[in-house]
Amino acid sequence: MMNMRIPILKLNDTLIVSIQWELDDKTALQFQEDLLNKMHETTARGIVIDLTPIDFIDSFIAKVLGDVISMSGLMGAKVVITGIQPAVAITLIELGIRLEDVLTALDLENGLDKLQKELEA
Amino acid sequence: MEYRSFVDIYTEWDIVAARQLGRNEAKNSGFGTVDQARITTAISELARNIYLYAGKGRLEIERLSENGLHGIRIIASDEGPGIQDMRKVMEDGYSTSGGLGAGMPGVKRLMDGFKVDTEPGVGTTITATKWLR
Amino acid sequence: MNKQMIKCINENMDEIIEKWQAMMKNEKGERFFHFMPENLVEKTSREFAELMTTNIAENNIINAEKLTDFASKVVRFGWSIKFVNKAIDNFSNITFDLLEEKEIIHHDNVRLFHGTFANWISPLRETIIEAYSVEWERTVNLQKIALQELSASLIPVFEKISVMPLVGTIDTERAKLIMENLLEGVVKQRAEVVLLDITGVPVVDTMVAHHIIQAADAVRLVGSKCMLVGIRPEIAQTIVALGINLQDFTTTSTLQKGMKEALELTNRTIVEVK
Repeated sequence: MMNMRIPILKLNDTLIVSIQWELDDKTALQFQEDLLNKMHETTARGIVIDLTPIDFIDSFIAKVLGDVISMSGLMGAKVVITGIQPAVAITLIELGIRLEDVLTALDLENGLDKLQKELEA
Repeated sequence: MEYRSFVDIYTEWDIVAARQLGRNEAKNSGFGTVDQARITTAISELARNIYLYAGKGRLEIERLSENGLHGIRIIASDEGPGIQDMRKVMEDGYSTSGGLGAGMPGVKRLMDGFKVDTEPGVGTTITATKWLR
Repeated sequence: MNKQMIKCINENMDEIIEKWQAMMKNEKGERFFHFMPENLVEKTSREFAELMTTNIAENNIINAEKLTDFASKVVRFGWSIKFVNKAIDNFSNITFDLLEEKEIIHHDNVRLFHGTFANWISPLRETIIEAYSVEWERTVNLQKIALQELSASLIPVFEKISVMPLVGTIDTERAKLIMENLLEGVVKQRAEVVLLDITGVPVVDTMVAHHIIQAADAVRLVGSKCMLVGIRPEIAQTIVALGINLQDFTTTSTLQKGMKEALELTNRTIVEVK
């Protein structure tokens, strides 16, 4: 239970992450570190993080996600978040967390398309 | 007799346990997915506050039934340092832990009722309720 | 004495109803007796008269079921509570006059009859008005539910494009419902662009704008784009006057223009075919 790591897949120059279970604080921070390391190793230019199975995001996880996106930006990569559920979106907005400047897409497929367009632009 | 359950908060893992309990209670009380997310998130915020500021405390969940209305009450209590400046804590964007500061006003927006009892040096009890629509 | 009175009322029922109708027609702002079909007016009047007289005949027992029935009817007809009250007054006055005319009431027993009338009319009035207000409340609640049901549906128009027309005043309760329907719909219909049409929203104040901005923000989070369309000149004026910032939004004056932009956003265009 303690050392559950989120798998990060590489597809050409894109990293794909699918978060399948509820994140606890340690796993979230571990994920942040793993993702940045993986980017450094692989020189990936884009990341898609899919959150379809996640049914809630609190301010801590939102902060970790926001930080990951800013840090990736510093390392020259674009991030697209996909599959945020309606209930999660509403709760985030009511919490006052807007996640401005975050790229989003309905699902993984759309997300990969969007990322490709962003990288070409 | 009202139905009540609780999780004692000592470690980060207890935050996860608390929100799992909350999610189940919300689901079993008949709340829809959006309200389930609201309740789970509120619990997560309150449990994390206990963990961060008081070190330990208790998160209770109570099923409510009043005047034909049904709902859920979350009670987060600790014997921590208490809240010094209530007004500041309820301001959007205020945080002493370097988080997003969404905590307290955010929880208030997620729930229908929200009440804070605090005394510096004695502890804090936060009560938040949500009614079935 | 009561028997005499009942007998007289029953025998002269047609006359009472006729006089009563004439009196009701003279009420200010009265529509029902002028514009409704003759037979409906007749039927309602008879029902009302019957209702008014049952409790004298049946030893002051008021038939609750009939009363509720009647109340729901007049609420639907749009009778105001003032009008219902007037109808009771008029009926009572006409009956009193008639009994005087037939010399059942004369100056020796007039005090006594005042008491009889009070015992007859007062409880009746109370129950009718109570039934009326219960019925009225029920109607208001039903309308509320009806409004909620019709208030927020997301319509898939083209692949990747959906429209939600908003009609009527938006309060916090409705705003929550709209937000939920909007987001569930966007995800279900896989809409990449949604057009929120506010043509039918009469007033956009700071609160309504706040709800719209929140909804659009949430739409962005689930991975779609929200456009605000149907901004009438007076709405544009209030938005600017109130200092509401809609800079981050794509907004257009009409649904048509919005749809064109939505198609462009999804790399499509409408062409005429020969």
